[in-house]
Amino acid sequence: MGARYSGNFTSLTLAAVADTTTFTTNQVVYLAGGSATQRINVSEVYLGGEATGASAVQIAVLARDSTAVTGAISGGRNGLLDGSGTAPATAPSFGTTAATTQGQRSATLHLLHLSYNAYGGIVRWVARPGEEPSLLGTAASLGEMSLSCFTGTVSAGSSGHILFEVA
Amino acid sequence: MANLKHLKDQEGYLMIDNRNAPVPDEIVVAQGLPIGAGRGMQEFATYTCSHCQRVVVLNPERQRERAYCRGCHHLICDPCAAIRAQTLTCRTFEQVIDETLSQSLIIGA
Repeated sequence: MGARYSGNFTSLTLAAVADTTTFTTNQVVYLAGGSATQRINVSEVYLGGEATGASAVQIAVLARDSTAVTGAISGGRNGLLDGSGTAPATAPSFGTTAATTQGQRSATLHLLHLSYNAYGGIVRWVARPGEEPSLLGTAASLGEMSLSCFTGTVSAGSSGHILFEVA
Repeated sequence: MANLKHLKDQEGYLMIDNRNAPVPDEIVVAQGLPIGAGRGMQEFATYTCSHCQRVVVLNPERQRERAYCRGCHHLICDPCAAIRAQTLTCRTFEQVIDETLSQSLIIGA
């Protein structure tokens, strides 16, 4: 078993972004390989809404990115689940912004739809072991995934995590 | 014909808690979720398509049979089932990853 991580974020204001439209800083969560050959398996996605008004429908999408970010990914937190575990030589990239240009969600490679109301709502998806969606490397569209909100979303705060493993 | 135990072994889990405020049916259905998924607390089984890795939420009301690939002995999503019917080939995502990884290693060598 490889190193398992919890990539988590707090109080992101997730707003509607159409497919193949450049994301805005801190309105998306990125996950990408730390190297050209690093493989990552995603085993869980969790979102907890923090909206203050009742009409806060969020159409969250975990998808592959058709345009990968450029520059380092930062923001959020990326911690080993096992405190005594050993991190790989190159850590996976997880965060809410990119240093140079932001990525774009693929129009066709949506992996998971998680519609919920961020006014007190929560949503959690867990993969069966061995059935996890995976990414490889850093280049689009195989090497980067994003968790973001699709057209029709009402902008609202959310916190959550993505659990993943370096295979 | 795949046995039921084998198919159950492929299932993931989705929980959506909208007890505090609902999501209209037209939105959840447009996202591939069953009618009523936006109301109250709901739990669903899911599976990951072995050909494209899309996560499919199992609609308990669905009458049509789920697509099963006899090449990889795994449930696949409807779009991949249509491709499978046209091409009669099984190309799993694991193969895509293996091929990409092999190419990266060759280029890097």
